[in-house]
Amino acid sequence: MITKTNPDEIQSYLVDAANFKGNCSAVYFPETHDDIVEIVKEANNNKTEITVAGNRTGLTGSGIPSKGIVISTEKLNRILEINKDKKYAIVQPGVLLSELQDKVSEHGLLYAPDPTETNCFIGGTVATNASGSKSFKYDATRNFVEALKIILPDGEQLNLVRGENFADGNTLILKTESAKKITIELADYKMPSTKNAAGYFSKPDMDAIDLFIGSEGTLGIFSEIKIRLIDKPENILSAVIFFNDESSALNFIDDLRLSSLNPKEINNSENINVLGLEYFDKNSLKFLESDYPKIPDEADAAVWIEHETNKESEERIFNSIAESINKHNGNNEKSWFALNLKDRKGFQDFRHAVSWKVSEYITKQNVQKVGTDSAVPVKHFRIFYDYIKGLAINSKIAYLVYGHFGDCHVHLNLLPKNNDEYKIARDVYRLICQKAIDLNGTISAEHGIGKLKHEYLEMMYGRSAIKQMAKIKKELDPNFILCIGNIFSSKYLIDQKL
Amino acid sequence: MKIVVCVSHVPDTATKIVVGSDNKTIDANGVTYVLNPYDEIAVEEALKTKEAQGGDVVVVSVGPDNNKESIRKALAMGADSGVLLKDDNYRDSVGVAKALAEEIKAQDAQIVFFGKQSVDYDNSIVGQLTAEMLGYNCVSVAVDLKLDGEKITAEREIEGGREVIETSLPAVITCQKGLNEPRYAALKGIMAAKRKTIEEKDAAVSENSVEILEMKKPAPKEPGKIVGTDSSAVPELVRLLKEEAKVI
Ligand SMILES: Cc1cc2nc3c(=O)[nH]c(=O)nc-3n(C[C@H](O)[C@H](O)[C@H](O)COP(=O)(O)OP(=O)(O)OC[C@H]3O[C@@H](n4cnc5c(N)ncnc54)[C@H](O)[C@@H]3O)c2cc1C
Ligand SMILES: Cc1cc2nc3c(=O)[nH]c(=O)nc-3n(C[C@H](O)[C@H](O)[C@H](O)COP(=O)(O)OP(=O)(O)OC[C@H]3O[C@@H](n4cnc5c(N)ncnc54)[C@H](O)[C@@H]3O)c2cc1C
Repeated sequence: MITKTNPDEIQSYLVDAANFKGNCSAVYFPETHDDIVEIVKEANNNKTEITVAGNRTGLTGSGIPSKGIVISTEKLNRILEINKDKKYAIVQPGVLLSELQDKVSEHGLLYAPDPTETNCFIGGTVATNASGSKSFKYDATRNFVEALKIILPDGEQLNLVRGENFADGNTLILKTESAKKITIELADYKMPSTKNAAGYFSKPDMDAIDLFIGSEGTLGIFSEIKIRLIDKPENILSAVIFFNDESSALNFIDDLRLSSLNPKEINNSENINVLGLEYFDKNSLKFLESDYPKIPDEADAAVWIEHETNKESEERIFNSIAESINKHNGNNEKSWFALNLKDRKGFQDFRHAVSWKVSEYITKQNVQKVGTDSAVPVKHFRIFYDYIKGLAINSKIAYLVYGHFGDCHVHLNLLPKNNDEYKIARDVYRLICQKAIDLNGTISAEHGIGKLKHEYLEMMYGRSAIKQMAKIKKELDPNFILCIGNIFSSKYLIDQKL
Repeated sequence: MKIVVCVSHVPDTATKIVVGSDNKTIDANGVTYVLNPYDEIAVEEALKTKEAQGGDVVVVSVGPDNNKESIRKALAMGADSGVLLKDDNYRDSVGVAKALAEEIKAQDAQIVFFGKQSVDYDNSIVGQLTAEMLGYNCVSVAVDLKLDGEKITAEREIEGGREVIETSLPAVITCQKGLNEPRYAALKGIMAAKRKTIEEKDAAVSENSVEILEMKKPAPKEPGKIVGTDSSAVPELVRLLKEEAKVI
């Protein structure tokens, strides 16, 4: 097994896409399940902290260590099985999402979770319960995880298969491969009804596997992941629609969201059933202008819309979307319609470019990301949007808004130019989180909490809930070695009074 | 002014090509066909020419019924009408050019746009052949084009630089990447395309002078060699670069 300690060689394991920086003494590159067990057992004996790293595209510092060692999963990069008949795949955690998507596509299948950044590992997406532009229709990664092979912080192995082990009310009993029994008292906070990636999943009678999905590496390390696949759609209608005023764009989204809400994941219904509705405000379009000269000058907002089609439904769906575009005064002369796969990929890149350029900008300015990840229930969405935009305008700091608006999920990014602006930006961010909470939403719908968002999770669920989460972690990680500082601060583990 | 764009309908470069059981054609199973990427540039240039000078853009393609998909894409981008010169059998480049030349003559087109090459057989020849058959001037691999009345000033890429060419209408231009950024289809264009007709007629008869004897995939690349992971491998690496690869 390769180990690296040379500071030059481990530099890239000490910063993520949010420009969160860390420290460690060594990076390990296990190539098998047993390699991981060996590292974990030794670290547990020595009480050395371990941080598990995916491809470090995370936006919360969760894959970046504060101290101790890093386990990089990049050499665990094999697709072990793709079963076309039973529609599943078994993969190691370091498989690239883009590679998995391409490989299953060759079998006529689709792996539906699609975070905008496809340069991430499947392990990372399961640990953060990632979601993306198609999650409006298909839901987040959680909905596609069938089984996990997990190495617990003491080196024990836990195999979880969806549908096999449920909590009894709030009590969950886990049984490891060596028959060790672990009893866990689940937290009793109520999760928001929106898409959510904030804190441990918790619900009475829940499936044990759901506790580990979205646990940001704090409860165990995935060494094998079984995911559910679906049939690849025959075709996809994809278009970027430009609007000359923002409210028309938002009305267009409201209309299509409403007609798509039910039933999801069923094709050939009479309804419109969009995959996703991705929004770009005027500032986002300006931000992209130099790379995308085809953006019309007069555009005030844009919506990237995708819809599955087949020979029989194509015409009906096209007409129905065209009708909505005209109803809401979409720019029907300059909006973009994909006529082939290349165009479609181009639109996907266009969406990726806005997130990616924000990451590039903050790295250049050497500040941390100040980007919201909040989602709120549909009925409060417009109130929320108007409120946070007002805050951003009043702050006088450059900002842009984009996001998965089908899911009422907003990425408002403030782009501070200096430290003073950065401080103001943090205050605005806090107010936005508070508003999302007041409206029964979440402070993190997809990126997770990591090391950057502890205080907002506390605002959302309250201290007692965080204590309950810490208690769950203590049960599984009594020596506090695994991914310390993710989701909640280590003081919740160490301080007995908390 | 009558403007013609000639388009071919080609296997998407992203699809994996499998040679058919006859060893002379490709296995069409699972292959998606698209408008030849260079022809998108040709369509864009035709539309820009129309926008600047007025006129009608006619899209012409030689081949089977499926080619209509690519004609339709060009119509959705904004071309005015389409012509399919039907032929269900393999035709060589001369045959394609003959059919096109006849149609262009009938249309009395003053300027004709081609892609610089069709990404299926990659011959890069149909545009030039057609120009020759018509007696038109020809600028191939154009990366810049200015039209001033009858006068054409074009730039083309040559080894190590660019060449500026002055010529006049009627002319054939074959289009290279960099000439323009093809537009996406817009809603209005797609709607309008539904009402536009594609005229179908048989392609002018032509004897093939090229026969495909065999089609095979190039030999796969040899896998790379890892000589070591640290500095102790350097001497061996230097030896291999000298003796085997002969690059230093
Ligand atoms: C431009 C851009 C766009 C993005 N868009 C989206 C988006 O649309 N939706 C979205 O959800 N996210 C998005 N992200 C965030 C990021 O891509 C996701 O969070 C992704 O899931 C992280 O994967 P990774 O492999 O990079 O993990 P890392 O960042 O390396 O790690 C993330 C977490 O996973 C844990 N982890 C990794 N592997 C394992 C394992 N085997 N076992 C246990 N824990 C593990 C780590 O400890 C850490 O807590 C975006 C990021 C960028 C830069
Ligand atoms: C799998 C396969 C099946 C085919 N089936 C048929 C068939 O059934 N009938 C048939 O007639 N041909 C058929 N062809 C030929 C095909 O339509 C093209 O004409 C041919 O591949 C041209 O290749 P080239 O390298 O000579 O073109 P190039 O000289 O590289 O092309 C240069 C430019 O000429 C123009 N051009 C090229 N071909 C055409 C065309 N066909 N129509 C209009 N403009 C064109 C385009 O502007 C192109 O950018 C088939 C080709 C393939 C690969």
